[in-house]
Amino acid sequence: MSRNELTAAEREELDALDRILAREPVSERHLELAALVDSVRAGAPRMDPAFAARLDAQVAERAARRRPRAVTPHLARPGLRRIALASGGLVAAAVAFTIVISSGVLNGSRHTPSVESGLSGAAVTVPRTPASAAPATSKRSVGPTIAAPTAGAGAGASNFAASPALHGAARLVHKDSTLTLATSPATMQSVANRIVAATERTGGVVQSSNVKIAGAASHASFTLAVPSGHLNRLIATLSALASVRALNQSTNDITNSYNQEQARLTDNAATRSALLAQLATAATAAQQTSLQKQLNRLEARIAAEHREIDRLANQGHTATLAVGVVAGASAAKHAASAGPFTTAFNRALHALEAILAIALVALAIVLPFALSALALWWGVTSVRQRARERAMRTA
Amino acid sequence: MTVIAAVPTSGPGASEQFEQLYRSSAADVYAYVASLLRDRSAAEDVTALAFERAFRRRALFDVRRGTPRSWLFAIARNAALDELRRRRRSGALLHDVADTTSELEDLDPDLADRRLLVREGLAELAAGDREVILLKFVGRLSNAELARVLRCSESNAGTRLHRAIERLREVCGVTQ
Repeated sequence: MSRNELTAAEREELDALDRILAREPVSERHLELAALVDSVRAGAPRMDPAFAARLDAQVAERAARRRPRAVTPHLARPGLRRIALASGGLVAAAVAFTIVISSGVLNGSRHTPSVESGLSGAAVTVPRTPASAAPATSKRSVGPTIAAPTAGAGAGASNFAASPALHGAARLVHKDSTLTLATSPATMQSVANRIVAATERTGGVVQSSNVKIAGAASHASFTLAVPSGHLNRLIATLSALASVRALNQSTNDITNSYNQEQARLTDNAATRSALLAQLATAATAAQQTSLQKQLNRLEARIAAEHREIDRLANQGHTATLAVGVVAGASAAKHAASAGPFTTAFNRALHALEAILAIALVALAIVLPFALSALALWWGVTSVRQRARERAMRTA
Repeated sequence: MTVIAAVPTSGPGASEQFEQLYRSSAADVYAYVASLLRDRSAAEDVTALAFERAFRRRALFDVRRGTPRSWLFAIARNAALDELRRRRRSGALLHDVADTTSELEDLDPDLADRRLLVREGLAELAAGDREVILLKFVGRLSNAELARVLRCSESNAGTRLHRAIERLREVCGVTQ
């Protein structure tokens, strides 16, 4: 029989004790126990009426002062609610912390591509005017006709027209970018094909390309011209094809050059109108020959200025993107054959890996503190309880 | 068996529930604490402190871990033992509980003798035995509640109780 096991008679006596305390009738052989209970209870100290009154008042005052607020049924106690709120706050903070850190880790895990950006102009708006789109040799243009300031308005109606100068916020900016990708040798050709396809889809052209498939030495390079407005989209598309090793973006504001060429063209057009007027009134053959020569030289200059204006306008409208693809073993995982779903899956996997890593690090930091605090709490409680029991034994 | 008050947690009526627990337990808690401390003044302080703590911690009460009464007696016990420790450290003198012998004078001589005998026998018991008897007889706790207060199993509480009763009988010279 174990130390804690009672005999049937002992259990019966304890049951009888419970009935005695509940003021229920018991059998005759338990009357002695009932008398013992009565004697103990009768000898128990009783509260002094003055103290009882004081205690009543204290409890009533305490209850009146701190009436708890009503709580929601599922969180029946304010303590639990506070714990839930605190836990929610901690979880939210941890999630935010994880997102912030994981984004940094993700950037780092993708071979830490260097991204540079330069800007030599103020704005990046690229206006496309009808004049700028016209061929360089074209002498016809749609736009405001600029009259010669010296020969008077309408003198020798000019066929030359100039593109309007750019003023205010309208800026002409040339964008130039280089992108270096890394992929496995096996997927080099596929990546190259996708680069060409993506360029054409965004309205660009492949100005030059060079693809060499030679195992680990495989590489490819492209020079792409793409509408400036589509450059960022194309870079994003190409970045999804392989691991980004480097991205360099620069912009050059060519608005001033464009406006200077426009001003020169306007001046020369006016001069030409004046020469034509003089030619029409030339009295001698020598004068006519001289004026004709001047006109020929002037027209050559005007044609060159048109070409320069068109070139500048084209620069502003078209961005260049140099793409290099190198073979890298570490990039093998980022298979170029990956479709958008695979790419998205890979990115999600990267994010999960990073989140897991952060969670593990956080756990490694928090767990020792939590365990230490728990052990401390347990130790203090245990020591205090032992001291209490000791006090009881020695009382 | 015991008067189990409603759970004194929160929500509308929580204060009333606590007051109900107070009304049903205050005298028993005081009797238990005074018997442990044998000091009326300290017992008053500890009783007030126990109810103050209980009111403050009522949100922590877990109904799965016992009844409100056992929870209250556990708080009172801890407070009383802390008082005993404090007293032992400071070497404070005991001011015994008021002598109630005069109350016995009005009783039947046999009954008075028996009560006096039991009172003296109770004082002779070891503190642990006396406590178990007080918790059971005065506190009217069930064995499960007793186990909760004494931090032991229910069967162990039953065994301790039965042995304490036997010892009380022995010192009182009472036979079953």
